[in-house]
Amino acid sequence: MATGEARGNLLAEIGLARIGVIAASVVLALALQSTLLVKLTLLGVIPQLELVVIVAIAFTDGPRVGAVAGFFGGLLVDLMIPQSTVGISALVFTLVGYAVGTFRQYTTADSIWTPVLVVALSSCVAEGGYAILSVILGQPWVSIDYTLKIIALVVLYNCLLTPLVYPVVRKALLRVRPERVYRW
Amino acid sequence: MYRRSARGRVLLLALVALSIVLITLDFRSGGGGPLADAKDISSAVIAPIQRGITAVTRPIGDFFSSIGQLAGLRSENARLKAELQQARAQLNQMPGIVADNERMKQMLGLRRSWNTMPTVDAQVIGVPPDNYKWAVFIDKGRADGIREDQAVIDPEGLVGKVVQVGPHQATVLLLIDPQAAAAAKVIGGPHPVSGLIQGNGASEDLSLTGVSGNESVSVGEKVVTDFYNGGIYPPGIPIGTVAGVGGPPGALERTIRVQPFVDFSSLDYVQVLLDTGRNPLLYGKGRHGHR
Repeated sequence: MATGEARGNLLAEIGLARIGVIAASVVLALALQSTLLVKLTLLGVIPQLELVVIVAIAFTDGPRVGAVAGFFGGLLVDLMIPQSTVGISALVFTLVGYAVGTFRQYTTADSIWTPVLVVALSSCVAEGGYAILSVILGQPWVSIDYTLKIIALVVLYNCLLTPLVYPVVRKALLRVRPERVYRW
Repeated sequence: MYRRSARGRVLLLALVALSIVLITLDFRSGGGGPLADAKDISSAVIAPIQRGITAVTRPIGDFFSSIGQLAGLRSENARLKAELQQARAQLNQMPGIVADNERMKQMLGLRRSWNTMPTVDAQVIGVPPDNYKWAVFIDKGRADGIREDQAVIDPEGLVGKVVQVGPHQATVLLLIDPQAAAAAKVIGGPHPVSGLIQGNGASEDLSLTGVSGNESVSVGEKVVTDFYNGGIYPPGIPIGTVAGVGGPPGALERTIRVQPFVDFSSLDYVQVLLDTGRNPLLYGKGRHGHR
């Protein structure tokens, strides 16, 4: 009951145009990640563009939108990976989206370094959480060295992408700002 | 303010619970069930986008790599022409030999060999966006005759197997994925040595396990797929060459590294073998005959 009410209000608060922009950026990020970015790897490592976009959405729109975008973005990632356990990325990205959205309320700085730092921390948590959950759920394990290398390089690559991606997502979201203005 | 954050927490709990339900569902259904269907649908939806992006970005990559190679092109051209002439001469003798071979195999009740099977050429349109999974998406699917468990090759050798099929796209699990395995044998020694090939990711060689320490295997010998009852790969597809043999002679099991023939980092086009090679006389209609 409470959830339904929250969802209903969330839809009305955000507006259809904005939901469209969020959905489009989540889908486009994943499409780019699985085509262009798998070729533009950093030492063979694919960045998590999807995570950067979800952090940008959460940082712009707050914890509730962040959690929902994280859930669906993560679910799409899960569905794209053959023979993986569906729901792991959804869970991890939901938590990251919510946490980033909550953290945003305590920052005022408008510097690009803030989102870069947030992306670095989120990537570290998300990649680590994903690796741990995957192994617990019986996915094959290459080696601890490999996993640590992946985490370090994904964090680095995601940070490099942030100055390019964050302003674009933020601008697209603010362009379709709902008419009612909310004070958070 | 209080109500808002409370509602946020309820939403978060609902989404976390939903994720855990999904994980449980998928874990318990073990690769089948409703979530496998959801995977099929999502890859069918995203495939056209991937196809579009690949069509746009591939020529750009090709252009840059060809600039780098301009210098060597003339001498390479001459060398390739000479090789082509030789290959043509050999090719002329092939059809007769192949036909003889197939006829004799049929008489003996053996499997049809992989290099005479019908194939479908497919283009690689994407890769899963994950650093722990080695697979590719291809632009052909059920409509082109592709089914799960079919072997996928390229001109160099074995690439992997089909693990998921949509109407017009399919997913190929590469041989280098830790979940991939193939019955294999080392040829070139006094007698063939059988074992199991397993993937170790893109940065490591394949490993050949299950080879007893008494067997003699040396570096440079070729590894091909082996016949295995219930296995999915037709025998004889090239896999790679032995790159290292560990463990003392006489040890319980040898650790053998195999360098694959296929360059898994730059797969652009692959071929799917439309036949699993099971002899209909021996194996009935096969596992997927009902589809």
